[in-house]
Amino acid sequence: MKDAKTSEKVTRRRFLAGSAATIAAAAASGTAILMDAKGAWSVELKSLQPEEARTLMVFVRDLFPHDRLPDSFYATAIAPLSDEAGKGPAAKRVLLDGIARLNSLARTSTGKSYTVADEKARVAVIKQIEGEPFFTKVYSTTVTSLYNQPKLWPLFGYEGPSSAKGGYLHRGFNDLNWL
Amino acid sequence: MPAKFDLNDSSVVVIIGSGAGGGTLANELARRGIPVVVLEAGKRIEMTEFKNDEVWAFSHYTWFDSRTTSGSWSVAKTSPDLPVWTCKLVGGTTVHWGACALRFQEHEFKPRTRYGEISGASLLDWPVDLKEMEPYYDRAENRMGVTGTHGIPRLPVSNHGKVLFAGAKKLGYTQFETTNMAINPVPRDGRASCQQTGFCVQGCTFGAKWSTLYVDIPQAEATGKAEIRSESQALRIEHDASGKVTGVVYVDSTGKQQRQKARIVAVACNSIESPRLLLNSESSKFPQGLANSSGQVGKNYMRHTTGAVFAVFDKPVHMYRGTAQSGIVMDEARLDTKRGFVGGYQMELLPQGLPSFAQNIIPGGWGRDRAWVVDRYANVAGLWVIGEDMPRETNRITLHPDKKDQFGMPIPNIHVDDHPNDVAMRTHGYERGSALYDSIGAKRVVKVPPYPSTHNMGTNRMSTNPRDGVVNSYGQSHDIKNLFVSDGSQFVSSGGENPTLTIVALTLRQAEYIAAQMSKHEI
Repeated sequence: MKDAKTSEKVTRRRFLAGSAATIAAAAASGTAILMDAKGAWSVELKSLQPEEARTLMVFVRDLFPHDRLPDSFYATAIAPLSDEAGKGPAAKRVLLDGIARLNSLARTSTGKSYTVADEKARVAVIKQIEGEPFFTKVYSTTVTSLYNQPKLWPLFGYEGPSSAKGGYLHRGFNDLNWL
Repeated sequence: MPAKFDLNDSSVVVIIGSGAGGGTLANELARRGIPVVVLEAGKRIEMTEFKNDEVWAFSHYTWFDSRTTSGSWSVAKTSPDLPVWTCKLVGGTTVHWGACALRFQEHEFKPRTRYGEISGASLLDWPVDLKEMEPYYDRAENRMGVTGTHGIPRLPVSNHGKVLFAGAKKLGYTQFETTNMAINPVPRDGRASCQQTGFCVQGCTFGAKWSTLYVDIPQAEATGKAEIRSESQALRIEHDASGKVTGVVYVDSTGKQQRQKARIVAVACNSIESPRLLLNSESSKFPQGLANSSGQVGKNYMRHTTGAVFAVFDKPVHMYRGTAQSGIVMDEARLDTKRGFVGGYQMELLPQGLPSFAQNIIPGGWGRDRAWVVDRYANVAGLWVIGEDMPRETNRITLHPDKKDQFGMPIPNIHVDDHPNDVAMRTHGYERGSALYDSIGAKRVVKVPPYPSTHNMGTNRMSTNPRDGVVNSYGQSHDIKNLFVSDGSQFVSSGGENPTLTIVALTLRQAEYIAAQMSKHEI
C-alpha cells in the first residue's frame, strides 16, 4: 500500500501548480464559478458573487489547511453552503454578513481584504469570529463536505469502502510489520 | 410468513422497539407460539441496502428526533442537539453496534455491597448475580455467535490491534486479545464470515455481525406468530380501571393514530425513549406516569465513563481496515480502589474512517495544529476508554415542559453531571491510554472528550424492593404485572462492559418468565 508520505509529495506539487491559478469568475447569470485556469475543474456557486466565493474558499482552507489539497476540494466543500443560501434569505444573510465581516476585520488589522491578508492575519481574524453563527455554520457544514469527498481520501491514505472489493481480508488488514 | 394481527386482538404481546431487547424478545416469544406485535419507530432498511459510507449511514440510521440537554457533562457543550447516538431502524442499535460482547464481572452486579456507600451516587445491588446470569450469558453467546465462546475461534488481529497489543505489552499489561465479538470468523448459523470490511458501524454488508434486523426479526416472522410494524411510533400505553395495561396508542407509517390492544406490553426503546414513554403515559390513576410509584422512572441515567485517545505514529497503521473492535485491553477493568475510583474500565479500539475522524478528532478545532494530525490519518491508532459510571438520581430523563415532537409528544431532556468518580476514572484512562501509545513511540497523542452516548443504561432500574426501582429482576413492573421493560434501561449499574450482551441475556431470562407466567395465567 502507498503510504501517506508518497502521496503528500505528489499532491503538494499539484497544489502549488493548481492553487495559484484558481479563478473566480462570474457566469452570465451573475453566479460565481470557481475554476482552475486550465479548465481541469470548476464549481458553480449560485448564491455568491465571485469575490465572495473566493473569500469563503480561502476561509475554509484556513480552517482546514491541508497543503496537499488543491483548491478544487475546498470549492466543492463550500457548494452546500451556497446551495443552502439559495433556499432562504436568512441563510444567505448569515453567509454574506460573515464574509463581509472577514473582510472588514482583515482591513482593520492589515488594510487588506481577507484573501490578500497573510495567513497569520487571517488566523487572527478567525479567532475573533469563532463561535459566531457564520463560523459555526461554515465549520459544521464543511468539516463534513470537505472530508467526505472520495477523491480526497487517497491523498490521506484512506481507502474507503471495501465490501465491493471483498473487504480488507486480502487487502492488508494485518500487514503492519514495523512494530 | 409474517403474521397480521387485528388492532382489537387483545391476545398479543406488544413490544415497543426492535433492537437487542425488543428484537430478541419478539423472537423468543414467537418461537414459543406467543403472538407478538412489534412497534418500531424507525424504517426497515435491509442488509442489502447498507453502504460502506459513514456520512450516508449516519444520516439514514440515526435517531434525530429533538432532545434537549442540561447539566455539566461535556456532551451538553460539544453535541447539545445530538447527545445520544442510537439508531432509528428495525433492528435498532444492533445495526450499528461494534459487536463487542462482554459479560459483566461478578462484582459489577453487586456494586453497593462491593463499593460501599459512595457519596452522590445511588448505588444499588442488582437483584440477580453473575451465577444466576451465567446460563443466559451462555445462551446469548451461542445464539449471537460470540468469538472465544462455544468453540468459535477468535477473529485475527488487525494492524490496529497489533499497535494496541504492542503498547499493552510494553506497559506490562497481560489481559489483551481480540475482543469477544458477535461476528462470525467462519460461516455459522446461516450467516457469512467476516471479510474485515471495516464498516461495522455502518451495518455489516456481509451479515457476519449479529443484528436483530437479519437474525431475530426474520426468525420471529418465520414462525407466523410475529408482525413487525415499522415507522410506528408509540405515544402512550393505556390501562384499565384495575391498573392493568390494555394497549398502545401509536402513529402508524401513514401518520394515522392507531390503538393496538394487548395482553402484555414490553417497552424496549432504550434508556431515553422507554422512560419518556412511561412518563408520557400518565393518567389519573398513575399521575407520575406508568410503573412509577417509586418515582424512579427516568432516574439513574448512565452512559459509561468514556474518553478517546488517538496517537500519531511515524509509520502507517490504516486503522479503518478490519473489524472495528479487533482488540481490547482488560487489565484496568478490575476493581482496585487504589487507583482513586471504584469500578473499572476497558480499553477498546476505536477506528474511524477519514470523514468521522476529521469531524471528531478535535471537536470545534481548526487551523494548522489540527490539520497536522488529520494529515497523518493513515498513521493514526485510537482507543476508547469505557468504564463504569456512577448512577445518580439527578442524572435523569424528564419530559420537556414545552417542547413537543412532530406527534405532539413532549421531547425528553437529558440531564447529566459527572460524578467525581467518573472524572477520576476518565483522567486515569486518558493517562494510561496515552502511556500505552507513548511506550511504542507515538509522535503525538490527542485526548478526545466523550462522544454522544452510544451506551445508554438505567432510567427504569431493577430492584428487589419496589420502593427502590421500577421493575423486578425479570423486568416486570413492580406496579403493573403485565407491563415489562426489556432493554438497557433495566440496568442497576453500568458495569465496565458494552451493554448489548447483558441486554440479550436479560431478555432470554425475561422471555422464559413471561411464557411461564402466561401459561399459569398469572398475566
